[in-house]
Amino acid sequence: MSPRDFLVRVYDEHAQALFAFLLNFTRDEADTKDLLQELFVKLAKQPGLLEAARDERAYLIRLAHNLAIDLMRRRAARGKTYEQLAAEGASIFAPAVEPDEQAFRQALVAALGELPPEQRAVVHLKLWEGLTFEQIAETLDLPPNTAASRYRYGLDKLRRRLRPLYEEIK
Amino acid sequence: MNPDDFEKQLQRQTMRSIPGAWRGEILDAARRARDHQLSTITPQPSCGWREFLWPCPQAWAGLAAVWVLIVVLNSVTCEPASAAKGPNAPRAPEVLVALREHRRLLAELVESPTAVEPPKPSVPGPRSQLPQRIVAA
Repeated sequence: MSPRDFLVRVYDEHAQALFAFLLNFTRDEADTKDLLQELFVKLAKQPGLLEAARDERAYLIRLAHNLAIDLMRRRAARGKTYEQLAAEGASIFAPAVEPDEQAFRQALVAALGELPPEQRAVVHLKLWEGLTFEQIAETLDLPPNTAASRYRYGLDKLRRRLRPLYEEIK
Repeated sequence: MNPDDFEKQLQRQTMRSIPGAWRGEILDAARRARDHQLSTITPQPSCGWREFLWPCPQAWAGLAAVWVLIVVLNSVTCEPASAAKGPNAPRAPEVLVALREHRRLLAELVESPTAVEPPKPSVPGPRSQLPQRIVAA
């Protein structure tokens, strides 16, 4: 497989998941695009990076997470934090047809924005990537217990915040 | 842990699709980065010496300057020495006379072997007496 085909294959298989993860983590579409491009440039320069990976998707999310953390630090040095970006909040969800469902999605985006980035990352990987706590721990380089507790705290906050809307659409 | 209804409700939310235009832009940027990297890695045939000298050009320049200085100093200090040889030239016949005198003395010594006594071979005493002599002393 040529290097070009390799990148196309990786993009077609994983870009959507990486996009959703990065958009949920950064809450900013321009940053998400920059980070995704940085990730693929890195892969183009070092095509051997993925060879040793047991789980390509988890490894790519880990790379994306590390790049996002670096960007977050650069931002913090310039005074703009991800808490501010989270408040601005680009939606990671597609628009819903049903008004109630759309209201729920908007409230969910806002509630996710109130979570600390690390809790948001764990919640995202558990709910929308379907990873186990062991996989999340490996991906984000933290102990499995920490991954589980971050998920519990995050989910509880979402539940408290979204309960009224959830009761309506249930 | 089995997901409860609330978790299932969250999981059902449809994610936004990645913008289609990004695909070409991101893959093009990646390809350009790879091509640029390859062009900088490919060795140029004429730059072998440049690569050799590149790590510390100031050191190489300094070394060359030192050699130039040595050559200049050497040529400057050699000129007076050759100039000093001039006055010695008329003494050459004296040296020849002294050399002839040495040859004559050498010939006399060779022709009369009895004139010079050969040195007596020194016979070392028994080794066992050496400690006794040291003790006696």
